[in-house]
Amino acid sequence: MLAPRKSVAKNKKIMATKKKTAKKKTMTSGKKVVIRGNVNGNRVPSKMLEEQIQEAVRDGARNIDITANGQHGIGGRIWPRGEKVSITVEGPVGQRLGSMGMHGTEIIVRGSASDDVGWINCGARITVLGDVTNGAHNAGAQGILYVQGSGGARCDTMTKYNPRFEPLQSWYLRDVGDSFAEFKAGGTAVVCGINPRNPDNILGYRPCVGMVGGTIYFRGPIREYSENDVQIVDLSATDWDWLVGNMKTFLKAVDRIDYYDELTRSTGDWKKIIAYTPAERAAGRKLKMPLTGFREKIWEKTVGRGGIFGEYLDYPQTILPYITTGENRRNRPVWVNDKYAPPCSANCPSGIPSRKRASLIRQGKLEEALELVLRYSPFPASVCGQVCPNLCMQACTRGLVDRPLNIKEYGRVSLNLPTPKPAKPTGNKVAVIGGGPAGLSAAWQLALKGHTVNLYETEDKIGGKLELCIPRDRLPNRILKKELSRFKEVGVRIHKGKRIKQKDFEKIYGENDIVVVACGAHQPRTLKFPGSEDVVPGIEFLKDINFGNAPDLKARKVVVIGAGNVGMDIACQAYDCGAKSVTAVDVQKPAAFGKELELAEAKGTKVLWPKITEKYDSRKKKIYFTDGTSLDADVVIISIGELPILDFLPAGIHTEKGWIVVNELGQTTDVKVFAIGDATRPGLVTHAIGQGRITADVIHAQMMQYDYMPEVKQTIPYDRIKNIYYDVEYPDTFETGEEANRCMSCGLCRDCHMCEQTCYYGAISRIGHDDGSYEYVVDDEKCIGCSFCAGICPCGVWEMVENI
Amino acid sequence: MEPAAVLDNNHHLSYHELPYIIRWREDRCTRCGRCTAVCPVKAIEPSVMVQRLVMSDGKTPMPSMVRHVMHVVRQVTDIERYCTGCGTCTLVCPNMAIEPEYNPHNKFLTHKNRGGVSYKRGGRRNDPSVSTVDKLKFTRISMLTDPALDAGRHEFHVRTLLGRNLPPEELPLKTENGKLVVDRESGRFVPPVREIFPIRIGSMSIGALSPPMWEGLAMGVTYLNEVEGIPVVMCSGEGGLPPRLLKSRFLKYFIIQIASGYFGWDEIIHALPDMVEDPCAIEIKYGQGAKPGDGGLLMAYKVLKLIAKIRGVPMYVDLASPPTHQTQYSIEEAVAKMIQSMSMAWGFRVPVYPKISGTKTAKAVLNNLARNPYAAALCIDGEDGGTGAAYNVSMDKMGHPIVSNIRECYLDLVKQGRQNELPLIAAGGMGKRGNLAANAAAMIMLGASAVDTGKYMMQATAGCFGDEYNRCNLCNTGRCPRGITTQDPSLYRRLDADKVAERVVEVFKSAETEFKKIFAPMGRSTQLPIGMSDGLSVGDKAIADRLQIDYAC
Repeated sequence: MLAPRKSVAKNKKIMATKKKTAKKKTMTSGKKVVIRGNVNGNRVPSKMLEEQIQEAVRDGARNIDITANGQHGIGGRIWPRGEKVSITVEGPVGQRLGSMGMHGTEIIVRGSASDDVGWINCGARITVLGDVTNGAHNAGAQGILYVQGSGGARCDTMTKYNPRFEPLQSWYLRDVGDSFAEFKAGGTAVVCGINPRNPDNILGYRPCVGMVGGTIYFRGPIREYSENDVQIVDLSATDWDWLVGNMKTFLKAVDRIDYYDELTRSTGDWKKIIAYTPAERAAGRKLKMPLTGFREKIWEKTVGRGGIFGEYLDYPQTILPYITTGENRRNRPVWVNDKYAPPCSANCPSGIPSRKRASLIRQGKLEEALELVLRYSPFPASVCGQVCPNLCMQACTRGLVDRPLNIKEYGRVSLNLPTPKPAKPTGNKVAVIGGGPAGLSAAWQLALKGHTVNLYETEDKIGGKLELCIPRDRLPNRILKKELSRFKEVGVRIHKGKRIKQKDFEKIYGENDIVVVACGAHQPRTLKFPGSEDVVPGIEFLKDINFGNAPDLKARKVVVIGAGNVGMDIACQAYDCGAKSVTAVDVQKPAAFGKELELAEAKGTKVLWPKITEKYDSRKKKIYFTDGTSLDADVVIISIGELPILDFLPAGIHTEKGWIVVNELGQTTDVKVFAIGDATRPGLVTHAIGQGRITADVIHAQMMQYDYMPEVKQTIPYDRIKNIYYDVEYPDTFETGEEANRCMSCGLCRDCHMCEQTCYYGAISRIGHDDGSYEYVVDDEKCIGCSFCAGICPCGVWEMVENI
Repeated sequence: MEPAAVLDNNHHLSYHELPYIIRWREDRCTRCGRCTAVCPVKAIEPSVMVQRLVMSDGKTPMPSMVRHVMHVVRQVTDIERYCTGCGTCTLVCPNMAIEPEYNPHNKFLTHKNRGGVSYKRGGRRNDPSVSTVDKLKFTRISMLTDPALDAGRHEFHVRTLLGRNLPPEELPLKTENGKLVVDRESGRFVPPVREIFPIRIGSMSIGALSPPMWEGLAMGVTYLNEVEGIPVVMCSGEGGLPPRLLKSRFLKYFIIQIASGYFGWDEIIHALPDMVEDPCAIEIKYGQGAKPGDGGLLMAYKVLKLIAKIRGVPMYVDLASPPTHQTQYSIEEAVAKMIQSMSMAWGFRVPVYPKISGTKTAKAVLNNLARNPYAAALCIDGEDGGTGAAYNVSMDKMGHPIVSNIRECYLDLVKQGRQNELPLIAAGGMGKRGNLAANAAAMIMLGASAVDTGKYMMQATAGCFGDEYNRCNLCNTGRCPRGITTQDPSLYRRLDADKVAERVVEVFKSAETEFKKIFAPMGRSTQLPIGMSDGLSVGDKAIADRLQIDYAC
């Protein structure tokens, strides 16, 4: 029934006056209004019913009886401003009864209610004397919901807590349906479990999913709650006091005070659900069982101790850090002092130990250092110091910084060294055929080792090509003479002017334990072309000069066929003999290099190639080439190499293309006969010296009956030497000590302590020995194998190896 | 030999040719050597550098020179010791003084063939672009049209079936007293079927993986089954299984692979009488997505006691898996007889299926299998699959993308009306960019019943450094800095199997959650949306047309 408009206005007036006098009285004694949801069999629309209720309240109604007919949202949104408005509802209640209810509003439903009772309740007290269906108190914030029966699904979901107000309460006498308290964030729910629909589960299927706050007291069995979100705990004394304290009010409200004793009998009947705190939830993200526990209790218990591979693993099953010491290192450093050959001696055919020489000089042992060289070559001054192209210096690492170590000068300063003393005579006899560099080198080594050496030389002078062919201005005869004089001192028996014939050889072979053939190559190679008979062999030309029979070439034009280093020597000599011009021709890129080429070009020698000689017309003084060109040539000298003269050798010694066949040790096909030098293949003087020394070592071993063990060392790579330590300097003068400091000591420790200082872990230390030697050692328990020692060692003496 | 003086930088590479450039900060470095100690390829080394300064301090030009020789950490420019960018140096550096930086201008492949030896590596296809599967989006969201599900609230059954599912009319059922019962007298073969989690750990062998890595995966899988109730399974790879596992009840969580090398199979057969459980399934490997048509070789130095025992071979011998199975000559014969033999070994109680490389010919294989009552599934491994070792050219340039391959096969089954009978398993590139569950869900909605993942597991569970910029990818060298793909105890002891297992559990729990987050808004909870391609869209018309899915932009 619609209240008349008039009366509403009248009520307003009453309210206004009474407010001033007795506010409390007004609240309790507001007039009673009845509103019907069904008028004459017609359902009043929700909108109209709401308007009637709001108008009645505005008119001062404080007791409203409503007969509902399924209208939406009855009893909510009443703003009594501190006054109390009581609403009683009967009949079929629609959804969202009491939604957005306010403090002061009291709703009693005489019977059951529909969905979403108390939706976003903001303070109303709602009593349902029956059941509530789904979604009761959904998103409720404040107020109270008393339910005499059960709750449907999704009750108490999304309930809030606002600290400005008392927390919300929801009381259910029987039980609740599925998905209870999802995303609950505040308020208290009480589920009493009286006469539940499902005696096994009073909170329905999966309650509390996403619950983050609030409290649920419940009495009875539950299942499948969201263990990730909430925990079940016992009630504290405070909880119990609250529950008991409020229980009577609830039971009175729902008219079920009879249950009071049963419900408050024991705190043990009740349990409490609370949400995990954010911190607890974060901690709870951990696994249900720690993996270590799983390994022990399930995994290894089933598959066996040590896991599935336990029976095959031979090492402790502990975890290794990335940085390890001792045997767990990936790599470890080794001090490989003198393991590698330096580039200088590795590239010296004579094997002169230049690095060791510099090292000894740095240690103040100059004499020892220089004498050392005589153990390798009898010609340090003549060869190292004069004629050698010094392959050692070309290879010298110092050349990467500025200029190679001046090894040539070291050779020169060795000229006046005292002759070493030969060892005790052994009684072994060796014949050396040929007194050139190769034969002399072998004789020198063998004599020093105490063997009797007979040396046979065709010419009247020993020295071979050093004496016969090399221009005197490249090798002053004074120096050569001085070095040749040493041979007598070491006891080499020299037989000069003795051309060996086959018979002589047989005799020598029979009289000696070993014969070394070092006869050199003295048969000029020639070419056949028209006029070739008028061509002068180069070796004869050079010999004539060194023997004092220099030809007069004044104003002559000279052509040299063959532009190798000998060709260059010839060119120089020709100029010295007065030649107007010298042209050297070759069929291919000339082989001449180094000093010889420089000198010849400095004197004016022209080098032409490719030129293949067609003919020489000695009448016209012209040489013609196959490309149609020609040159004026008063004299033509040919220098395209020489072959050895081997007519004295027995047939048992193999030769090939004119050369004696030997292996790298100088051994021929006859075990008693060795061959070295140009008789085996053309080479530099230093090659001949080296072959002489190695062959002498082999012969010595053979005669003394032990196995020859050549010292084979790899050459140290250049990048192992840290040349950055050395400042660029181009010294003007040569001083033995200063120069030795320039040596970068490739592969040989300089004892600089750089590694010791650099090691971050102090793992490297130097140990000095009584004999003056020393070593650097590593403490494996400190070393992590970082390779800093190896990376920064100036000499490349530290090396990293796999730590197996 | 050239004279020393003329040698300079002739024939040296500059580090600009290399794929990674070491950024070393002199101001932060303490020269502790940790970086150079751990570099797996010795791409960095301690060295010396010189600083030379000429200064003038007076009012007039008054030069004075200062020269400092410093110890530094330098990158090596030797192509055989190129920096792979793994970043182990960065990991161990206490001062953040060193890190490799990717060099997009590198000419690495131009040079990496010294000695005529083609570049070999481990890892995956070096293609960092977004793969097709990562372009797919889930666009059918239940918005008021049908009930949306809540991933956190609703119960989801994220499970798939591995094994042949018979259509209802072929099931040996009969009615008895008005009830449906199994007709045991029909003599009909009911194929074995397993209910598993739809992401499996793909085949990685004992040998390819280090002992702690493999055991970590195995433990994680077992934990997921036993503790978490998530039925994840993993494939053994071709390298046998340890007897302790073969004889344990955990065997049911493992798929045993047989491949062209048959490694470990005599040991497996010897263990048969002692098995207390059947394996989950048997996978017959015919091809691998990362290196289609190529075999494998476990190098002799890796064949130590453990590998030798498990594979049943002597120590220190090369173990070759040929590119093809040697005793088989045609698809009909090969597949049929292998499936029959393997089924027979376990009394037809174990699903047996082949795995092939992604290929244009996949449909032919599929149709062969569809007619074979014992074939349990078809696994296709696409071009984005990974491997422990292969030629770079195979990895980068060979292979078929998985997406259209699977889609095509599925639609073919649909055409035959048999799409729910033979499960398709998609592998290769799943989780390539970290989106494991999303990739898996997309493949499922295109028609796959499950997916396999391998590389993702290594990255997620053991911190594998590898990526599509050729970072690290040292798997083939035995020098894996993480200890994942090496048989060297000094390296693999860096890896804690328990930690790997824990990560496996975390990865799959998280994947399950992500599955729910994808399936819930699409309204699917109880059944995997296999072939539910109307839920997918792609912003590329050509892909949309090819896959017969929606184009959305």
